[in-house]
Amino acid sequence: MNEFVEQFLLESRELVAQATDDLMALEDRPADKERLDGVFRAFHTLKGAAGIVEFAAMSRTLHAAEDILSALRASRQPISSNVLGECLACLDLTSRWLDAMQASGETPSAADRDADDMIARLVGAMTTDEDDKSPARTAAARDDWLDRLPAAASPSSGALTAIRYVPDPDAFFRGEDPLSIIASLPQLLAVELALTDQTLTPETIDTFNCSLEILALTKAPTAEVQSALRSIAERTDIRPLAPSAASPDSDDDLAQATSLLEAQIALLRVDGADGLSGRLESAGRTAANALLYLGRSGLAAAVEQAMTTSRSQRNAASLIAAIEQALTPEAEPPPAPGTAVPVASRALRVDMDRIDALVKLTGELIVVKNAIGHAAKRIAGDEDPAAIASILRDQHALFDRLANELQGAVLRIRVLPLRTVFRRFPRLVREIAGNVGKSIRLITEGEATEADATIVDALFEPLLHVLRNAVDHGIETPEQRASAGKPAMGTIVLHGRREADTVRIEIEDDGGGIDVDRVRAVAAAHGLASEQALAAMTEAEAVELIFAPGFSTAATVSDLSGRGVGMDSVRAAVERLGGTVTLRSRAGTGTTVTLSLPFSLMMTRVMTVEVAGQAFGLPLDTVLETTIVARDMIVPIGSGRAFVLRDRTIPLVDLADTLGLARDASSREAAKVVVVSAAGQIGGLEVDRLGERLDVMLKPMEGLLGCMTSVAGTTLLGDGRILVVLDVQEMFG
Amino acid sequence: MTIALHDDNTIRLIGACPAEDGETLLQYLLANPKAEVDWRGCESAHTAVIQVLLVSGRALRGPAAGPFLERFIGPALARSRREVPPSPPGRKMRKR
Repeated sequence: MNEFVEQFLLESRELVAQATDDLMALEDRPADKERLDGVFRAFHTLKGAAGIVEFAAMSRTLHAAEDILSALRASRQPISSNVLGECLACLDLTSRWLDAMQASGETPSAADRDADDMIARLVGAMTTDEDDKSPARTAAARDDWLDRLPAAASPSSGALTAIRYVPDPDAFFRGEDPLSIIASLPQLLAVELALTDQTLTPETIDTFNCSLEILALTKAPTAEVQSALRSIAERTDIRPLAPSAASPDSDDDLAQATSLLEAQIALLRVDGADGLSGRLESAGRTAANALLYLGRSGLAAAVEQAMTTSRSQRNAASLIAAIEQALTPEAEPPPAPGTAVPVASRALRVDMDRIDALVKLTGELIVVKNAIGHAAKRIAGDEDPAAIASILRDQHALFDRLANELQGAVLRIRVLPLRTVFRRFPRLVREIAGNVGKSIRLITEGEATEADATIVDALFEPLLHVLRNAVDHGIETPEQRASAGKPAMGTIVLHGRREADTVRIEIEDDGGGIDVDRVRAVAAAHGLASEQALAAMTEAEAVELIFAPGFSTAATVSDLSGRGVGMDSVRAAVERLGGTVTLRSRAGTGTTVTLSLPFSLMMTRVMTVEVAGQAFGLPLDTVLETTIVARDMIVPIGSGRAFVLRDRTIPLVDLADTLGLARDASSREAAKVVVVSAAGQIGGLEVDRLGERLDVMLKPMEGLLGCMTSVAGTTLLGDGRILVVLDVQEMFG
Repeated sequence: MTIALHDDNTIRLIGACPAEDGETLLQYLLANPKAEVDWRGCESAHTAVIQVLLVSGRALRGPAAGPFLERFIGPALARSRREVPPSPPGRKMRKR
């Protein structure tokens, strides 16, 4: 099955489940705004997903449902049971379509007919809900965005045209500035901004994605606006506004509404039960609409609630009270007590196969457990110890194998292929390249390489920065390339591969390489290093300056510093994941940026060492080698000590001293040294004894111990002792 | 410089802020949760920058120098600040 379809099915099922949950909750509490928003978002996203896989029938159906939900959101009315039922039916239908797609890989053939039926039902639910009497309301629902325009309610503004513009999310990438289009509209009166995704927060927003809905009002005639916005016609909704003959100002509005509300109370106070429910309905609706028109939606909702109560009690008292309440000046009731905010748990999608593997392993573990119980019984039965020892050894071997497999299987659950992030780039690179007038192809290799989900998720931004730099600055213009004898089309290779416990991602361009002299000049201009220091740097060291914080700032949109998204942020992002970034540039032939990341955030290979009778672990990825150094080869340098290893002077740190442990005198012969690399430097750690290598699940320090420095975490050793694993970076830092 | 941080409590937007300032502004806002944004020197700002201001709901010291910002965008941002309820934690879609 096409991978997009596969992802679409997975996501859509999640969304259907989420929307169903929210609808069920709404059944209990029909006025719960949070839940209604949740349903609306789920429908909206589902519709978008259907659009991506070009499933028009589904898109159409969900659009109809979304319209209704959007109207409900705007009206702040509680959701009625028939609308709720039809929304659920719509989700059921969607589920059936998804099932059909899963089976055949294609959009179901009868979908269009089903969609028509469903849309008719949805519209029907809405109109019966509206009591067939208020076509204005249904119209208002369709145009609910008009209500959100601040000046739309007062025709005195002279507004002739209303515009709704939802820019393409990728507009920024294409170099568009949506607001500048609005700014250039003639006779602009008002602009309103909203987010298309209400859940966006500063923590979750992608600043490279446009998530805005822009509403605008102008005095210009509709035809003029339409021609001004022709270039973005498919993303805009342009509505003519009927100029109103009378132009009451808001005081008049208030006076009219007040008399209207008083009239409703008078109507309700008429004695006699005949036609009560009709009167309740009509008075309640009129009052609510009047309040909505004044923008007092809170009061309108209260009146409608009271109307429902009055109808069920067959008594006008509550409705009268609610309308009187609305007539009291500034009687906006306090906002409803905050509903419990559901905390979204971090979900991880897992292949059924992987879960099945876990189930199988669990079964095998139970067999081993039973065998061990059996062996224990035989010991009690005074059997030959040698025979039982042999049974236990066998079971231990089996248990060992299963535990390893279980660990592997659990880790694989957290693993995603790099494809999930790689596949977003070809289109982006093409667009960025188009913006700067270059033709570039992106070749991705090794997409099947897997890495921990946390890492794969976090890779998008740093990779995007590196790719942008490659497009902007790495690849030359077609003319430059032609004169350098290169093909006009530039090539960027995005390559992922697994090397032992490391996932390596290379971004290689065939551009002009980094102009080291320019780097030196920019670094000097930014005061990153003195002229002398810069002159003394080797080429490789100078190229490293690109990663220095402050090398690239937004103000200097120069050839080198890019768009204000510095390589320092790339390095910071990768180091947060426990990885490293390196850069290699060959003048005239291109630049390669390499991101090295740990395969998993959970498993760590450590080497154990012993100091003053205690065992400690050192992360194996920091250990370069172990060596023995004679005492007379260790020389004091300043307050420290150092030794020479293969013509290189290496500072030596006594681990016992560093950890504040007392060393016994017996270890004064030759020093056992672990050579480690930390923060780009090499150092030696003197220890008493070198231990073994272990794969451990590192547990970070928590609580009071959480603030301990130089400790990466702890793990349990086979004999039950706790192994403290040291953070070498912090010890040398 | 089109964007600058002063004394940890004022983020200044100056001149014509390009799209790239959106990310810079966001980083400044996240790093300085109490900082105020001063756009009195801001002539124009790319939509990406306005979007960050909208999402952040941060107080603005104005009026902005540019007429479009002053007349339309400033009031729109102020209205959205009054209306925006504390947003629920975002449901993040997981991709695979």
